[in-house]
Amino acid sequence: MSEGDEELAKDLGLLSALTIGIGTMIGAGIFVLPGVAAQEAGPIVVASFLVGGVVAMVNAFTVSELGTAMPKAGGGYYYINRSLGPLFGSVAGMGDWMGLAFASAFYCIGFGQYLATLAPVPGLLFLTEIQVGAVVAGVIFVGVNYIGAKETGGIQTVIVLVLLSILSVFAVFGWLSFDWATLVGEGGLAPMGYGAILPGTAVVFVSFLGYAKIATIGEELKNPGRNLPLAIIGSVAIVTVVYAILVTIMLGVVPWPELSPDAPVAQVTEAAFPGGLTGVAVTVVTLAALLATASSANASILASARINFAMGRDGIVTDWLNDIHPSFATPYRSILVTGGLIVVFIAVLGRDLSVLAKAASGLHLVVYTLTNVALIVFRETDAAEYDPDFEVPLYPITPVVGALCSVGLIAFLDPIEIALTAAFVVAAVVWFFLYARRRATFEGELADFVTSRADEMPDSAVSAAGAVAPNGVAAPDGGQYRVMVPLANPEHERALITLASAVAKARGGSVVATHVVTVPDQTSLEAARDRAVDIDATSQGLLDRAREDTETFGVDVETHTVFSHQGFAEVFDAADAFEADLVVMGWGPSAHWSPGRVEGALDDIAGELPCDVLALRDRDFDASRILLPTAGGPDSDLGAEVTRLLAKEFDSEVTLLYVADESEEAQGAEFLAEWADEHDLADAQRRVETGDVERAIESAAADSTLVVLGASEQGLLQRLLGRSVVGDVVEDVDSSVLLAQKRHERSLRERLFG
Amino acid sequence: MAHALVPVANVADARATAAALVAYAPERTTVVHVVEKGGGVPDKTPVEQSEDVAEAAFAAFRERFPDADTHVAYGSDVVEAIVDAAEEVDATAIAFQPRGGSRLVQFLSGDRALRLVTEADRPVVSLGTGDSGES
Repeated sequence: MSEGDEELAKDLGLLSALTIGIGTMIGAGIFVLPGVAAQEAGPIVVASFLVGGVVAMVNAFTVSELGTAMPKAGGGYYYINRSLGPLFGSVAGMGDWMGLAFASAFYCIGFGQYLATLAPVPGLLFLTEIQVGAVVAGVIFVGVNYIGAKETGGIQTVIVLVLLSILSVFAVFGWLSFDWATLVGEGGLAPMGYGAILPGTAVVFVSFLGYAKIATIGEELKNPGRNLPLAIIGSVAIVTVVYAILVTIMLGVVPWPELSPDAPVAQVTEAAFPGGLTGVAVTVVTLAALLATASSANASILASARINFAMGRDGIVTDWLNDIHPSFATPYRSILVTGGLIVVFIAVLGRDLSVLAKAASGLHLVVYTLTNVALIVFRETDAAEYDPDFEVPLYPITPVVGALCSVGLIAFLDPIEIALTAAFVVAAVVWFFLYARRRATFEGELADFVTSRADEMPDSAVSAAGAVAPNGVAAPDGGQYRVMVPLANPEHERALITLASAVAKARGGSVVATHVVTVPDQTSLEAARDRAVDIDATSQGLLDRAREDTETFGVDVETHTVFSHQGFAEVFDAADAFEADLVVMGWGPSAHWSPGRVEGALDDIAGELPCDVLALRDRDFDASRILLPTAGGPDSDLGAEVTRLLAKEFDSEVTLLYVADESEEAQGAEFLAEWADEHDLADAQRRVETGDVERAIESAAADSTLVVLGASEQGLLQRLLGRSVVGDVVEDVDSSVLLAQKRHERSLRERLFG
Repeated sequence: MAHALVPVANVADARATAAALVAYAPERTTVVHVVEKGGGVPDKTPVEQSEDVAEAAFAAFRERFPDADTHVAYGSDVVEAIVDAAEEVDATAIAFQPRGGSRLVQFLSGDRALRLVTEADRPVVSLGTGDSGES
């Protein structure tokens, strides 16, 4: 995939990104909260908004830095999972998801409040009329996202510009009716004392949550290095100013004790606009309120699907949740589950708007706190691939202040919201230990996770490339065919080198022998390198033998030592760094990259192989009689090619095996003959069997010394054989087994950091 | 068909389309998946998720056409993106299988089959859905 295509996926410019941020935020702060917040703090609530804006701004810097380093779907969750590992990843992902569901429920209630002033909505069962309106709105927003109804380009921009225009007119007329005496009222600016400012901030903080949505769509932004920070910081700055001005005006038109907690803007409009225009003006601002709250809810539902996708990719939630609808091409299950949560939150907690608002804030504040910690961890561990275009000013003060403000603000929530927040955090931790811990695709010994986290390196941010300490001839020359052999166990060194040298010789290429030293997660790679002297003796012995063995084939060789946490994944990073075309690796109980894990890992990396891979289960490697089962498909092409090379080098006797359905032997024989011709294996014996694939392979293998299997997650062979069959064949036969897998066109890693 | 451009939506669609296409034995095939973009608004599905769907669909298609070229197109209008892709890869025809689905689903997702046939600037082959067509 060329870079040009990648660029096509990025179609959001700065204006779009800004309006997404502003559009998400402005609905809440202006249209929904002023009345409720004013009851909390009096006119000084304007200061509450400003404090909220400052806290949001500090966090906006942090999110901007992380977002430019990793413009990925998922936003805060993604950064935290990379940095702090899957336990905190689970907390952040769940917190972000539930926080968005609470926020959406809150926006829906806001929508319901204005809807109730516009048209009569009946109450139903235990639901108030506002809740009924909110549920209806929630169902509609979910439906719109379910079918992926298309807002044609620019409509978001238009909505936000229209909103800002309406609010400007509102501000002008409001200003004309503004009265300082009304603002100050009888109790002065701070009737509840200045101590009410921060509890007020806790209430209104929900109106600043939108900027983080920009980070969740980072992958879609054009030029994210520039536009992401501008949009995030810019939108926070703009809405803070808008909130401060408009809330001040509203409180100067209607005295704060009388300001409506349900539809404050409509009330102020009624008071401020001159007689004849009142009706029209109230209708217009009410429609604007509906538009604003709908756009906020919509953006939140969309963002939650991003977070679910990112969590599914890392194995923290089941991928079932992220299934794509066959006709609408939307992540419909994720949207439905989120929608269900929204409706439950509206029905159960919707009577008190501020509970929803503060629960949303509480969960988001947990995520923001972790985000700041994540940034500090990235910086302090000097993660190799962490290279943000935008850096927070005054590091480390900014992230430390951001974390402290975020935690601090949680303390100003009421006990019920703190309890809700804590409950979801606990639920996420329980979820992690019951479910995600086994499935999370991240390495890391988690037993000591909490105690050792200060030392923990961000797993996937560590590149083997940065951890390479070359001790041989380096200088990769482009063009030449390069076979990399990761070595760990001296026992299999000769078999792997023999295989690699045979391929390299036939291709006129060279061998890159690499000693992989696994380092416990708790030890930083740097510390390991400092101790390299101890390792060097073993390493040198192993690599010297590899060098000698390679040279018996007359093939050029270079040697390296690689320090690695994860073993497996970093082997592929190293393959990338050394520009290998083929990796020949050991596979089996004694291969150092975790006994029995390689096959699973091969599956895991099926989508991101940077090069072709041959995985050898070595049982006294001998290529004299090779069995090659095939069912066609790209992965058996590689198997065929390797078989041909080996046959040439070792004068092997080759048997091709095809397993046909009952009574289709004739077609099977025909297919196999054709296939053998196509792959220059016409000299090989051909064998067609019927019945159980596994048994057929095993019985044929009895006559051979080496079985070559094509492995492919989705290829035909794999589907025919089934994953378990490959596993069983490997365990049951006595000969060596060579698993061949083609590289994939575009690696996930390239997409991640390319 | 000298060079068929074959749009596929997902794994099931890719398998069915490939099965139907075999009979036509095109000399060359390029299989294309369109990632739907918002064009100014956030996408309805994360881009990377759409790209994963594309990869899986390509793999499924290649079970029958191992030599097929692949192409990921991005566009806010699926039909337009397919037509543009045909131009880009220089296909001589577009071969597709009309997607089933109830009338409601077709209405909501837009009748792309009809639009593809009318808007394309080269031959469009509609591969029969056969008996097993979903409804």
